[in-house]
Amino acid sequence: MKFQIKRLLSQILIFFSANLGAFGFKTGFCYPFFYCNSCPAATSACPLRAIEQSVYKGSFKWRLLLFPILILGFFGVTSGRAICGWACPIGLLQRGTGKIARKLKKYPLIKKIGDHKIEPYLRYVKYFTLIGIVILTTALIGFMFTDICPVGILTGTLPTLILYPSKFVPNPFFWIALIIFILFLVLIFTIERGWCRYFCPVGAILAPFNKISFLHVSLVSIEIFEKECLHCNACSNACPMGIDVTNMNRDPECILCGKCIDVCPKKLIKFERN
Amino acid sequence: MKKMLVLQISALIIVSGSLGGMLFFTDVYEEVHSGIVSVLCLSCLKLEPKTKTDFTFETAYGEPHPDFVLDNLSNGVVFLHYSEDACPGCDIMYPVIQNLFNFTFAKEDTVYKIFSFEDSDVAYFYTNIDHTSEEMENSFPVYDKDHISGLPMFVIITLGYEKGIIKPYYTTVYGTLGLDNDKDRIAFLTELIQESIDIYNQNREGYNQNQ
Repeated sequence: MKFQIKRLLSQILIFFSANLGAFGFKTGFCYPFFYCNSCPAATSACPLRAIEQSVYKGSFKWRLLLFPILILGFFGVTSGRAICGWACPIGLLQRGTGKIARKLKKYPLIKKIGDHKIEPYLRYVKYFTLIGIVILTTALIGFMFTDICPVGILTGTLPTLILYPSKFVPNPFFWIALIIFILFLVLIFTIERGWCRYFCPVGAILAPFNKISFLHVSLVSIEIFEKECLHCNACSNACPMGIDVTNMNRDPECILCGKCIDVCPKKLIKFERN
Repeated sequence: MKKMLVLQISALIIVSGSLGGMLFFTDVYEEVHSGIVSVLCLSCLKLEPKTKTDFTFETAYGEPHPDFVLDNLSNGVVFLHYSEDACPGCDIMYPVIQNLFNFTFAKEDTVYKIFSFEDSDVAYFYTNIDHTSEEMENSFPVYDKDHISGLPMFVIITLGYEKGIIKPYYTTVYGTLGLDNDKDRIAFLTELIQESIDIYNQNREGYNQNQ
């Protein structure tokens, strides 16, 4: 079975297992990826909600802070950001929209945005989202990221409105979150994996683990690589995260999707387990 | 290479050991299960249930009324207020209730107090489900009339007449009551309590707790 088909099956399987709450199966774990516990079918808790609860308005509940971080840390140490590429339902969604984003890249304006010199710096925005909106504003003024979360709108609010059309009305956060959700849609349809690259706070927790994870993507030995690489740039062109693959070394953005491994004509890129 | 392997193994031992320890020695699993997965913060859902004030005899899942409600119902209307820690909707409603009863308390307190409301007693219970007893927490789904499982939630229990029996009769409202300001929220709750007291006064003579 082709590698990318295996990855797609993994994403679909995990999407369904994340929604077993529809059959009454609910756990006390946090998802190790971005998914909303407000989803009518959710089985587990959003890791960001647990973090927010732990620091809300200056309170400090160390267990609720540590629990999601340790769950994410466990997956991070073993496989880095593979969760983003192999498990996250929002990653699955962006896998679909990524094809459109790739086609739109032919248009000069979209290409210009994607290739702009500030683009690499925008990748740090997700760390600001995590520290600023998930932790600081929650702790200082009680303003929580989950109140305006676009993923919450997609996986919690909209399914609830569809399932129970006459039961609920929007609250004041709804309209702000809806605008952010529309921007989220524009982003993921114009920039491949735009949410993962720039804004995902869960990705921001997982990203540093790429530096020490057991499983990672690496080049074959430097000597062989320098001798055999055709410099065709197929690997970097295929990368949904926009990484310069030939120069990467345990890049925090790598989601271990394996697309670079698939397209390398000389098979100079590989998964490594140490 | 060896250094990296030592770092990786150390990190894995620390992370998995701490996670296992937390699951084994603390009740964090239960805390997440009951506080986040099973109970929704309505502001996170970005929606509020439509406010319906119709009274009913049927508890949400057919469970009996808790003893602490039945005990207090002999003396007057019972008002239950459910809240949680990280919940902007709960924060909006917290001062509304304090103004309504002209009484202050901390958000993480558990409160039981009898108030005189237009010459009638109202037993007020405030429950923060992150800091409460099992009995109070278990009463939350009993009164989740519309099967919302969301917070904040307010329940007013009075006495009603059905098929020759006087029995507990209640309504539940959720969120910020679908209203924009505190003045309207206080007026809404005042009217609801007054209505409950009127119904209570019509039926109190025939009430037998053990029926």
